[in-house]
Amino acid sequence: MRLALVGFGVVAQAFTKIIAERRQEILKRHGLNPRIVAVIDQGGYTVNPKGLVLERLLQDKASKSTVTEEQFKNHDLQAKISLVKEIEADVVVETTPTNLKDGQPGLSYLEKALAGKKHVITTNKGPLALSLPALMELAEYNGVELRFSGTVGGGTPILEFGKRCLVSDKLLSATGILNGTTNFILTRMEKDGMIFDEALAKAQKLGYAEADPSLDIDGFDTACKTVIIANWLFNRRVTLRDIKITGIRNVDLKQVKDANTKGRAVKLLGIVDSALKVEPKEVSRDDPLCVEDTLNAVKFQTEYAGEEIIIGRGAGGMETASAVLRDLIAIRERMAEEIMA
Amino acid sequence: MRVVMKFGGSSVADGAKISHVAELVKKHLHGNQVVLVSSAMDGMTDHLIELAEMGLKGKESQVKDEIEKIRKRHSEAAESAIPVEAFRHGALSTVSTLLYDLERALNGISILRELSPRSKDYVLSFGERLLVPILRGALQARGVTSRDFSGGEAGIVSDENFGDARPLMNVTRMQVQKRLTPLLEEGIIPVIAGFTAVTQHGDIVTLGRGGSDNTATILGACLDADEVWIWTDVDGIMTADPKVVKNAKVIPQLSYAEASEMTVFGAKAMHPRALEPIIEPHIPVRIKNTFSPSAEGTLIGVDQQVSSGSVAKAVARVSDVGIVSVGGTGMVGLPGTAGRVFEVLGKQGVNILMISQSVSESNITMVVRRNSIQKAVNALEIGLLSKGEVKEVSYEDDVSIVALIGSAMRGTPGVAARVFKAIADAGINVIMIAQGSSELNISFAVNEKDGVEAVRALHDEFKLGS
Repeated sequence: MRLALVGFGVVAQAFTKIIAERRQEILKRHGLNPRIVAVIDQGGYTVNPKGLVLERLLQDKASKSTVTEEQFKNHDLQAKISLVKEIEADVVVETTPTNLKDGQPGLSYLEKALAGKKHVITTNKGPLALSLPALMELAEYNGVELRFSGTVGGGTPILEFGKRCLVSDKLLSATGILNGTTNFILTRMEKDGMIFDEALAKAQKLGYAEADPSLDIDGFDTACKTVIIANWLFNRRVTLRDIKITGIRNVDLKQVKDANTKGRAVKLLGIVDSALKVEPKEVSRDDPLCVEDTLNAVKFQTEYAGEEIIIGRGAGGMETASAVLRDLIAIRERMAEEIMA
Repeated sequence: MRVVMKFGGSSVADGAKISHVAELVKKHLHGNQVVLVSSAMDGMTDHLIELAEMGLKGKESQVKDEIEKIRKRHSEAAESAIPVEAFRHGALSTVSTLLYDLERALNGISILRELSPRSKDYVLSFGERLLVPILRGALQARGVTSRDFSGGEAGIVSDENFGDARPLMNVTRMQVQKRLTPLLEEGIIPVIAGFTAVTQHGDIVTLGRGGSDNTATILGACLDADEVWIWTDVDGIMTADPKVVKNAKVIPQLSYAEASEMTVFGAKAMHPRALEPIIEPHIPVRIKNTFSPSAEGTLIGVDQQVSSGSVAKAVARVSDVGIVSVGGTGMVGLPGTAGRVFEVLGKQGVNILMISQSVSESNITMVVRRNSIQKAVNALEIGLLSKGEVKEVSYEDDVSIVALIGSAMRGTPGVAARVFKAIADAGINVIMIAQGSSELNISFAVNEKDGVEAVRALHDEFKLGS
């Protein structure tokens, strides 16, 4: 299977490492022989229809911070975006950085890839949060898959769990702790008695939070994931503009301690029920949803089976890369069916 | 004798050559009725494809520049080939009208940013259509009465498969006879733009594979011609590529089947599609050299018309190919695996040139064109690897096919033994072998680096150069 990687950051490199190290196993277990035929990064692009040498890609990125060879240096974004449409590849893996203002450049890459009838895997929440209904329609219209399981729960298959396991039941609501950074901060406030700023500083020191932590602590990351869950599992055609967001910036130590004395913990929750919102709420300590530190958890309320909960690590390069591979295997199954049909 | 003569692109590449063609035709007129078919000037078809693509990208000013280049090339040819002012003027005014139409079509393409197979055919048709008024002028300036036609004007009507149309032979026969026979009887030479035809609705199409040769044989069949002559820039069909084998020589006679076989192997000859119309009426074809007209050339006809000669007639080589192998013990005894393999490739539009399967059934090896190897491997992996019956899909892209061709091999024992002994003696490893039950050829694949040596070894073994 021929892949074009758009963006070659932490996730794409981790993904490349996985397929380089586990090539034989992936081939044997899944009948999948992934060949990366193109990589587009900030420096330009590199292309080889027979498949690029993975070790070389990783080395180049480490030593030169781009995979681009001298002759393919190209900073013209439009040229790179057209390349995605025209290149001979089966799947485009888009992992450019999240941008919640207008979703660019990821959104343009995704639209062109779909228009070029390529299956798409993305780990980029920006375009999805802003434009998922439109992208899903484009994918369906062009007869290709749009997969993004790495955007929610990292390596934990939250979206698949919802889609596959609950297929016979009716989903009533979903409530999730979807952001590891904020959960870490709230957990440390509760356990160590840190004030918000101290806990944030610790999260930053450990590399859990960005230098500009707004995306996490103001609830936008959680909101993106909630929007994706609403679209994918609840068929709600919504975007980031339709969700009410409250972050944890104003959660103080007193609020956390008060909850604690009642056997509860304050958690930043993404909620899909009749409403669509992100807000800090108290959760009973006995509720399995009440996970600590960087863990994620989602509780699904279903009509017949009642409550079901999935818990796992929510982020990380390798974790998200494994989600990309999971999507790739799903796409491969569909392609095999179509080729043999 | 009624003869259809077709001149290839290199025979009409410039004014001097067009003059030469006109003189050559004039020499053959005595006692003969001649119909001329011409290709476009060398390189024109590619040039027009580029132009269409420029149009598609909306590069209008570039398109304009290129049209001026085309105008210049044809004007220069007319200046040099048509020494009589009135005839030259006539030709140039036709060229001018055609270029105006071409420019309008390209503008349309660039405004709409759309190039359908139908519009592409329309654009491509100009190569031949621009040439025929000049050839006609060159003949008239030499005192030969002549008229020029596009394929459609001459009466060739085809299906609507744009880009690769096939003639509706009975409609075409009726139209062509109605339009051309009276001219021939009056001694007027029709000059027809090859490669082009029209649909029943009057839309211009191209005949695709076989091209102008096809126009010549269609006309030959429709006009009950005695012979079709294909004028080109080589002395005839050779026993091997003369660039590879020093003592390669022209094959004097070939059967239709042998000639078809040769073309498949890339010999500079006729496409099987082009031979089709004349096989049943048994109209012989001569391949002749425009620039060495006294050379005898190659005669293609039915077995009775051509002598069978030696066991083998030619050695051919196809070098832009590779091998794709599908393997796995799961395939053994499992019906339908081969069917699935070919189905997957067929759906991807991958053409298979050669197939072999071992009797153990654990491996199927196919030769495909080099530019479709990656597509083939990818589709086979996606389609078949997961099912477990196929364990491995592999490929080699540095392969050549070598084939020994000749209908007299049929029923002659020991040919294969001689072939493979000669190859073994040359120290060459054979990767795969195929021979159809028609026994018209024995083909095998070798490493690309050994291809040339294998051709020489067989050429020597079967004494084709002597």
